[in-house]
Formats: sequence, structure tokens, C-alpha cells
Amino acid sequence: MTGEPAQVVVIPCSGIGKTYGSVAREAAYALCDDLRPGGTRLVALAKLVLGEEAARERVRTCPVVTIDGCKLMCASKLVTHSGGQVAHEVAVLEVYRRHKELKPEGIEELNEGGLALARVLAEEVAEVVDEIRRTRTAPGGIRA
Amino acid sequence: MSDHLAATFDKFTFRVAVGRLYSPEGAWAARIQEETGKRVRVGITDFVQQRAGDVAFLSVKAPGSRLQAGDELAEMETVKVNLSIPAPVGGTIVEVNPALELTPEVVNKDPYGEGWLAVIEVASWEQESAKLLEARAYLSVMQSQIEQEVKSR
Repeated sequence: MTGEPAQVVVIPCSGIGKTYGSVAREAAYALCDDLRPGGTRLVALAKLVLGEEAARERVRTCPVVTIDGCKLMCASKLVTHSGGQVAHEVAVLEVYRRHKELKPEGIEELNEGGLALARVLAEEVAEVVDEIRRTRTAPGGIRA
Repeated sequence: MSDHLAATFDKFTFRVAVGRLYSPEGAWAARIQEETGKRVRVGITDFVQQRAGDVAFLSVKAPGSRLQAGDELAEMETVKVNLSIPAPVGGTIVEVNPALELTPEVVNKDPYGEGWLAVIEVASWEQESAKLLEARAYLSVMQSQIEQEVKSR
């Protein structure tokens, strides 16, 4: 007997005004809206910053994937600070280093390279989400 | 005595390592064998790496390349800018830091140590070093550059 797979919470860098932060957000949108809409739940980093209880509860009870724009790793740190555990963290720069041809530019509107990089990042994280969901169940389920 | 000088502006502290020489553009040079060596390890300052941001890629000229002081030693792409790093001394590149290819972020983490860029063999250290600045003199240059940057905002 097995429980329902856990919904994976995805938290991107808020990254307002930064190119790599925008890539992080676009990747999270692509992941949660297009690639894995049923298995993921996007939570705005700002909600954790503000200490919103529903968001804090969600990161405490669900597996969390963070997508950070820079080495400050704000999303990852805030999940931990909120009492959650990060199941997987990724930084945009790590992915860009493997895809030098996709140079991101722009802030309010990313260039083609930035959008393509976001897509690649989203696809990579989607595989991680699948793996997490294979091994974790929703709160109250049987699988650990 | 500390092995670094430092200047703090706003929330940022920029360190300048003592015991090496600097170009005004923010490249450092340190002789590998203190007394007699013609081989000079070179890199960028803490100020340059902090101002440039997280390094994505760093491409240093290949071993065997001959450079004059001021020639482009490396191209650096960060999350903010693309930068050309001028060589602080002239000579022949004999070694490039192998860590830069897979882990260029070492330049951000340790610009005066593990994040060195290259080793250059110089014809005359006395001649090449004459144009460079001691750490304290570079600290003043760096402070002026920061003040100018703050004013221009």
C-alpha cells in the first residue's frame, strides 16, 4: 500500500532587477505551469520573507526545491530559516556554465538565451521533481 | 600583523593582500621565488572580483603566449559584466591555473590564493615591477576608484 506522491514546493529567487533572478523565476513558471503542473506548487519567496504561516507550513511539510539566482542562495536559506528542509537546490549559474551558448540578458524581458536557459533549467529540475515524488508521499502517506 | 589591508565602503569590505605588487587596474603579481625568481604568479584583486560579481567563465591566454604589461591576459564573464583582465607584467605565460576551467568561482572565493590566474616568466623582474604599486599605494588607488564610482551613480 502506498500513499499519494508528495507535491513538491518550488521556490525561486525573487531576483527582481537581476537577470539571473529572472531566469530563476521563468524556470519556476515553466516547471510549475507547463512541465509538472500537477506535482509542483510554486511558492513566492516573499511569503517566506514576510513569515506567512501558510507558506511556512507548506515548506515544513512538503519536499522543497529551490532555484537561486546567485551564490547568496536566498531561497535555500529562507526555507531552512522557515523550518523546512531543502530536498534539492540549484543555482542558475551552475546550469549556465554547462550551457554557455545560452547567455541570459535583460531583466524585465529576458532575451532568447535567457528564456532558453530557463527552459533547460526547468527541464533539469522537472527530473529532480519526478525523483522526489517517486520516493516521498504527501503528508500522512505511507512512504517516508 | 595582518596579511591584508582592507577598505570598507557601505556593506562591502575589500581586502588587499600585502607582499605582492599591483597594477592600478587591479591585477596582482607575486614572484614565486622571492629572491631570484623570474616566474611571477598573477591574479585579480578582491575589489575587482567583488565588483565584477560571480564568475561564470574565465579564459586565460594559453601557455606560450607572450604579453606586454597591459595586454589582455584573460577574459572574464560574470553574472554582471564581461571583463578584460590586463596583465600586470610582461613576459611569457608558462602556466594557467587548471582549476579555472571547471571551478572558475575559485576566483571569487580566494582571489589571492587558489584563484590565481597564471604564472608568467618575465625577462626582468626589476623592470616589470618598477611600474607596479605596493599594497598600500594600491589601496589608495582602489579607494579613489570606489569614490569615483560612488559619485558617478
